[in-house]
Amino acid sequence: MFVTAWAPDKHLMTRRFVLTSVAILLVVIGLLPILAMLARSVVVDGHLSLASCRGLFASGRAWVLMKHSLALSALTTLLTTAIGLPLGVLLAKTDVPFRRLFAMLFTIPLLVPPYITAVSWFDLLGRNGLLARYLSPSLAGTLSTWLFGLPGCVLVLFSTFLPIVMLLTMISLKTVNPRLEQAGRLVAGWFAVLKGITIPLIFPGVLLAAMLVFLLTLGEFGVPAFLRYDVFPVESFTQFSAFYNFGAATAAALPLAVITFLILAAERFFLRKKTDQLQPAPDGEWSLIELGSLRGALFALVSLLCLTIVIVPVLVLLLQSAALSTYVEALNRAGDSLLRSVVYAFIGATLLTLVGFLSGYAIHIRALSFWRSIDALTIFLFALPSTVTGIGLISLWNRPWTGFIYATPAIIILGYLAKYTALTSRITISMLTRIPPSMEEAAQIVGAGWVRRMGMIVAPLAKHGLIAGWLVGYIFCLRDMGITMMVYPAGRETLPVRIFTLMANGPPQLIAALCVVMIAATLLPLGILWATFETAMRGSDR
Amino acid sequence: MKVIAFREVSKYYGGRVAVGDFSLEIEEGERLVILGPSGCGKTTLLRLVAGFIPPDSGSIMIGGEIVAADGRIIKPPEERGVGMVFQDLALWPHLTVKENLAFGLKAKGVPKREREERIREIVDLVQMGEYVQAKPAELSGGQQQRVALARALVLQPKVLLMDEPLSSLDLELSVRLRGEVLKLQKDLGFTLLYVTHDREEAFDIGTRVVVMTGNGRIERIGSIEEVRAYLVARTTASKLPGQNLDEQSA
Amino acid sequence: MERAHMKRGMAILTMFIVLVGYLGCRRKARRSDVVTVYVSEDEVFSEPILRDFERETGIKVNAMYDTEEAKSTGVMNRLIAEKDNPQADVYWANEPIRAEILKQKGISAPYFSPNAEDIPAAFKDPEGYWTGFSARARVLIVSNKVSDKPRSILAYTDPRWRGRAVIANPLFGTTTVQMAALFILWGDDRATAFMMAMKKNGVSMSTSNGESADLVASGQFDFSLVDSDDVVSRLRQGRAVDMIYPDQGEDDIGCLIVPNAAVLIKGAPHPEAARRLIDALLSKATERKLAFADCAQIPLHPGVETPPDVMRIDELRVMTVNYADVARKMMEIQPFLKRWAGL
Repeated sequence: MFVTAWAPDKHLMTRRFVLTSVAILLVVIGLLPILAMLARSVVVDGHLSLASCRGLFASGRAWVLMKHSLALSALTTLLTTAIGLPLGVLLAKTDVPFRRLFAMLFTIPLLVPPYITAVSWFDLLGRNGLLARYLSPSLAGTLSTWLFGLPGCVLVLFSTFLPIVMLLTMISLKTVNPRLEQAGRLVAGWFAVLKGITIPLIFPGVLLAAMLVFLLTLGEFGVPAFLRYDVFPVESFTQFSAFYNFGAATAAALPLAVITFLILAAERFFLRKKTDQLQPAPDGEWSLIELGSLRGALFALVSLLCLTIVIVPVLVLLLQSAALSTYVEALNRAGDSLLRSVVYAFIGATLLTLVGFLSGYAIHIRALSFWRSIDALTIFLFALPSTVTGIGLISLWNRPWTGFIYATPAIIILGYLAKYTALTSRITISMLTRIPPSMEEAAQIVGAGWVRRMGMIVAPLAKHGLIAGWLVGYIFCLRDMGITMMVYPAGRETLPVRIFTLMANGPPQLIAALCVVMIAATLLPLGILWATFETAMRGSDR
Repeated sequence: MKVIAFREVSKYYGGRVAVGDFSLEIEEGERLVILGPSGCGKTTLLRLVAGFIPPDSGSIMIGGEIVAADGRIIKPPEERGVGMVFQDLALWPHLTVKENLAFGLKAKGVPKREREERIREIVDLVQMGEYVQAKPAELSGGQQQRVALARALVLQPKVLLMDEPLSSLDLELSVRLRGEVLKLQKDLGFTLLYVTHDREEAFDIGTRVVVMTGNGRIERIGSIEEVRAYLVARTTASKLPGQNLDEQSA
Repeated sequence: MERAHMKRGMAILTMFIVLVGYLGCRRKARRSDVVTVYVSEDEVFSEPILRDFERETGIKVNAMYDTEEAKSTGVMNRLIAEKDNPQADVYWANEPIRAEILKQKGISAPYFSPNAEDIPAAFKDPEGYWTGFSARARVLIVSNKVSDKPRSILAYTDPRWRGRAVIANPLFGTTTVQMAALFILWGDDRATAFMMAMKKNGVSMSTSNGESADLVASGQFDFSLVDSDDVVSRLRQGRAVDMIYPDQGEDDIGCLIVPNAAVLIKGAPHPEAARRLIDALLSKATERKLAFADCAQIPLHPGVETPPDVMRIDELRVMTVNYADVARKMMEIQPFLKRWAGL
């Protein structure tokens, strides 16, 4: 690696040094733990063996799990795309009332750990839930059976991941040159223009969203575990938990790896030719579709959806936790983990932004010959069940001389970096594709070195992407449970972990109160930051 | 004295020849225009001189020094001391006119007082004195051209590269700016390497013109009169079947 | 413009310094008197005990808790994964089987606490690798609607209760312990036959003891074999159920007792504080607190005060099993249980 990084062109030294360091960092904190796990799975009692894999597939159980995993991912992806795309168009391009408010409300479920949404639905639809009191026992039973299984999982994950499709649709729409639509409007109605021009143009963005939803669902552990639907990540976790079988756990994660690579290959294939068409839209001229007579009906439809998947779950949690004393108890129990969560998420988001920016830059300009592998690696880590990454991180870092990492919250931060770099690096890449290369070249020709070019030209031009990346990083670090639960040092747990541990026989109203605290903890800083950045942006853009 | 020299330079993209076996020497103070259809490798030539890409074979010299050869960049763009006006101008949208100009001076470590002085001089020269605090988006197309020129010239380069900088302007403005470029070149004395697909522009600007073929080779090189005569003759010939010639005109 | 940049930069820098300072201070607090404990007992019940210990001794407790009751034993895996460089001092297991597995894997160390002397020998490892305290009993939760209540786990195979009984997945938790205990007590043939007969009798399978208890409480099933704390919590919620200690007759096998277990970790970073914490866990005071808490656990020390709905250990006919044998048996019958559960 050092050999390929060395080059006689001395001007490339700084750049190569920095970017290679980032790549090595990602390999060390991401790839090595996985390799360590793989080695454990293949080497049994000191010699090579594929027993773990054979054991998994011989039982026939693997095929059931595979079916479950694929069914859940496919259904969730289908539903989120089918509804998220029109919703995004409606909220971004039409005069439907309260567009901004709706966009914010729909985003809430993405901000909280999905199992909290699951808890809320359980409080509502479960056998002893709020609704059960008003329904016949048999109907309540049916609802509960329905919740515990594929439909329940799809419902929860649909409401969680819907904002991904919605937001990416809205963002992509902003990149469509309005003149292309205006040209279409001369000869056709809005519906035909959307169908024939606009939506094909934003196809790459929608495809990216769909892929993200698919991968996130595939790797999701909390919801299927809570709603008792057996999928691969749950199996992997069960293998660790009930059987202390590290090998089998890794073997259970292998099919996920295969699927992930297939998805990545498919994305490459589809997006290859498409990405270059994405050009920034010139300012102004943004045309809003007037809905006319449909306005009321569509407003009602959006309100109903929002009520069902956003308002009701939050309301249920509020109702469950109604008493003030519950909140006192909740803060008493979890005040320190709340503070820790915010601090870790802050540090995690900042480092993710930096590492994501540099790796995204390297991938974008293909500065490193192995850029494609880095891209694949980050996405792969993102999709891999946290259980595997977590145990890998432990076996790699728990050594006497690395105690300063493993015995401290640093290990949690490493976990965040391993898991979520894909997000910030992808956001960086999509931002960089909109910056003409001549911007950096112009700085180069007037004599600026790489560090100055990055700091003074590229980073400021990618400012919106960096802010978006930081916010996304903050949200994902804050809501993370999978990786934190695997590696946190004793007494350093975060709020989501604390909620999950208290869920074992903890009083439901306490859990509900903690969930509300968690939602507030996510929304409050985000709201403040958002407001600050918006004023700042408005100020600087004029 | 030769300021720039290409020695048998070739550059390929994939299997396609962008520049093929290209040799050329440019004298100090000369205004050399490279004329050719789009996709003929003109821009590639400029990027080779600027140092954004290395030649696959052959070598490039600037000021008597080999700056790139056989797939390697020996001197990076930031050390070559050439100025460049990009086709899309590449003015940094987040910086004011003054900050755009100051950026390179700061990178070169020019002290603040001298920086201020040189910026003042150059904006006066391009008649943009009153716009120093404006952002690029607030300027008209012609004003943006002048800022781009000023940004390249404030560093007092020996060589200025211009990549179809006037192609997006209307004819009247384009003609006026050609005059301004000529005047600046006379005042400051830099060597100009100018790329265009427009014959009239080429004849207005250049002291010598290189006509490129479609596959990155030199078709003809000479003074304005020679090239003009050659092109007229070629256009007549093109009326015969089987000839493959460019279709450029003002 | 530049000044604004500077200001923002300074603000971010200040924030970072504060953060690093915060983390740095937290780290210093660790060094002095601390003990690290990994806990499989539910956090709601174990955390107050540990906080009391902190208050009484001034030793800071860093705790890591297990998650969902049925499946996860993240803590066990942490102990196993950290074997070569232990971070934990003490493991608070919620059943002795895990303590046995740790002993077999060479992760625990022996310690005889002076506070454990009058805990019955059946609930202690003879070599001192774990010591039991506050126990759950494996009991029947029975719906109030049922008049002639089942008195034995054999009711699972009784045609009278055909399709009316539910049991938690035997692959997990205390249900596995129970099955392994039966395999030892009855021998493989009889235990296998019992389980097949159960299946034939139309038993339903739930995902956890808690779910079983809820299913009985809502009247969908007549009875289930669950942990005593599951029943006590439903009783305290006023649900329409009864708790039956099974097989209490003269010649019956008795009721399986599942104690908590305190384990000292081999190579513990803070061995002295670890012993003090174990002493505290094994004290009568802790057993009393856990009896009165919602987990309603049965004290193992003689003469500990209990609330009226918690049975005394000497009033019970206890199933006699060696927990080490149970641990070994559990591994052995795993494939059978998987087949039985249809996985």
